[in-house]
Amino acid sequence: MFLHNLKYELLSSYRVKDLIIWLIIFPMILGTLFKAAFGNIYENISTFKTIPAAVVVEDGIDDTVFRQVMDSMTEGDEPFLKVTYTDKDSALEMLRKDDIKGIIVCGEKLSLTVSGTGSEQSALRSFADQYNNTQHIVMEALKNDPASAQKVIMSLQEDCSPVSSKPMTQGNTDNFIQYFYNLIAMVAIYGSVTGLHITVNNQANLSPLGARKCCSPTPKAIGLGASLIGSYIVQSGCMIICVSFLRFVLDIDFGDRLLLVYISAICGGILGVSLGFFIGSLNKFSFGMKTGLCMTISMISCYLSGLMVGDIKGDIASNTPWLNNINPASVISDCFYCLNIDSDYSRLKVKLLTMFALSAVFSVLGIIITRRKKYAYI
Amino acid sequence: MLIFKTFFKVLRKHLPVALIFIVAFVMISLNMVKSSNKEKVFEDVKLDVCVFDQDDTPESRKLCEYMSSRYNMVTIENDQNTITDALYYERADFIMTIEKGYAEAIAEENCDGLFTSYHMHPSYAEALVQQFLQEYVKTVRAGIAGGMDIGNAIDLAEETLSQQTEVSYAEYDENADSDFSKGLANYFNYMAYILISVIMSALCPVLLAMDKKDIRYRTSCSGIVSSSYLLQILTAAALFITGIWLVFSIVGIFLSGGMYHGKALLALLNSYVFSITSAAITVFITSFSPSANVVNLMTQVVGLGMSFLCGIFIEQSLLSGGVLAAGRFLPAFWYIRANDMLSGTTAYDSGKFMMCIAIELGFAAAFSLLSLVVRKIKLGQTAVKSSRLSVAENKG
Repeated sequence: MFLHNLKYELLSSYRVKDLIIWLIIFPMILGTLFKAAFGNIYENISTFKTIPAAVVVEDGIDDTVFRQVMDSMTEGDEPFLKVTYTDKDSALEMLRKDDIKGIIVCGEKLSLTVSGTGSEQSALRSFADQYNNTQHIVMEALKNDPASAQKVIMSLQEDCSPVSSKPMTQGNTDNFIQYFYNLIAMVAIYGSVTGLHITVNNQANLSPLGARKCCSPTPKAIGLGASLIGSYIVQSGCMIICVSFLRFVLDIDFGDRLLLVYISAICGGILGVSLGFFIGSLNKFSFGMKTGLCMTISMISCYLSGLMVGDIKGDIASNTPWLNNINPASVISDCFYCLNIDSDYSRLKVKLLTMFALSAVFSVLGIIITRRKKYAYI
Repeated sequence: MLIFKTFFKVLRKHLPVALIFIVAFVMISLNMVKSSNKEKVFEDVKLDVCVFDQDDTPESRKLCEYMSSRYNMVTIENDQNTITDALYYERADFIMTIEKGYAEAIAEENCDGLFTSYHMHPSYAEALVQQFLQEYVKTVRAGIAGGMDIGNAIDLAEETLSQQTEVSYAEYDENADSDFSKGLANYFNYMAYILISVIMSALCPVLLAMDKKDIRYRTSCSGIVSSSYLLQILTAAALFITGIWLVFSIVGIFLSGGMYHGKALLALLNSYVFSITSAAITVFITSFSPSANVVNLMTQVVGLGMSFLCGIFIEQSLLSGGVLAAGRFLPAFWYIRANDMLSGTTAYDSGKFMMCIAIELGFAAAFSLLSLVVRKIKLGQTAVKSSRLSVAENKG
């Protein structure tokens, strides 16, 4: 009887259009959009590109040293700058047309003219700062103690690497990938709608199917158990499709522990179904209200996890870290983060245990509320 | 005015969905306008830096003190996982340790390996602070080489590095950027997503309800002239769109802390034109008579699709060439391009701005024409079916 119920639970689930649209098609579309939007950002930010700039030398300025510096900046396969020497009006016109990122004006000191803000403009300013500071030190040394000026110049020219950089992970450091983690978390939490249908299809006051099931001789534990297991399987299927699509079609790098990514996603799906099952079992509300409750909780959970605003998780971590530890979507997306960033499994274990605990609490509460429910009339 | 009244009666039922979007947008906007003031490009607003001072000497403390005047110092637990999370989620732009022996090494003009910085991925923030540290150390070393003691050399470095290059903005228009702050620009950018989502989610079901076969037939055989019917529907839809646009415009006044001036008025015009284009897209989609599920999916796909491909959620300058090329075929691309000009992200050119507005209007006209074509084809098909049915009935 259990297997019979399970079979029809699975068959009927895959015929629900909502499920196909929101748990399979929608994540695919959203994932593709994420890929289109975020696919190149990391590369754009981390890959240096030569900055086009115009140089305007003011009248009466000896620019011999400056030109030497600029020549060194424009040498090589991928130089720091691509410089055009011109007059002020032409430079402004070039800036207006966005042919250059800024105008370096060589006067007594270097100054900069830009038309917008961005990393290139920031790099130009940094270069100008460095030039001005070096010039200032040399001029001061020549003014105060010409005898030691040579030593100062030698010291400034000497190489210096005071900062040694330590990478924190060997994993994929593209932080835009967290949107894909949150997308998987969203699919998992949307599983609450699947979970909601378990109680709807088993409660006589919510659907004709529920009424039919209530008056059938099948024990409630078997019917409910089959629905719950069936929903877990259906949701797991959706999770596998989602992860496979992201990994193999969109080529998202989840690290080298893909099996654990699948397992974490499935556990997340089970958590989503359990959450929906618990909400569905709350007897006081109508089906519409329960659906609204499911969607609201799902969206808030995903928002707090960073699906809409990527930085929010970091803000929560610094202000209310406990929220990240109990928010279902955050816990799910953290699993993928830990699998990618951490070299050990300590944090992953905690996250998986949290998921199991939350799933168990929601399922047990749902069963307690739903069991032994009888209807004198509907 | 029967049709006009009925339109709003049906609309009232779908307003809660629109209200959810509006409330969510206003809530997010509050956060967005606040956070958008965190401009990290120039040093006007400081980078978030965390320093672990393991040397703990007067020299290292002086460096920390000077860094706190340049950067926003944040406190983070000195633990591998916390540092990793802070860098990944950008709670700190730069985290470093001043190594033990810093003071001794710098006094001996030995400048290598004084600091350890932690990084997840290369960033301009990291490059900028590293460059600052290098300059600081080089200047101190130059001071010592010039005969100064360590204290005076540190003072020289602080004084020298405090002098920053003068940066001016090229003004191509007399209207000042202060009329259209970065925060307000972000608000208007995100408004494109919410306008299309609200208009589609509320207007689609109303138009579909009014366009149901039975209701359409009933209206067609009533005494209402078809031009009057169309006029009433258009007036009601225009009123609804204007209402939604007004709500967001008024919210914008509160968020920006004052009435719109100068370029902000042009942004208002841009947003209104985009509302019209959104309505035209809605009418086009409803002309295919989709089901409720498909309408919901289309709302998400069109709204999110434009947001990701046109630069609403991510700046256009960060999008790849391919995405931008695809985005050009969507109205939101031109909406954002116009806003970018107003906010100073790209150089302002009144001719180019008006061209963006004209392209948006062109999209509205194109979608309206396409809707008419689709409706005409559908009506033709219905007429053919009806005539075939009547012929069959006559034969029968």
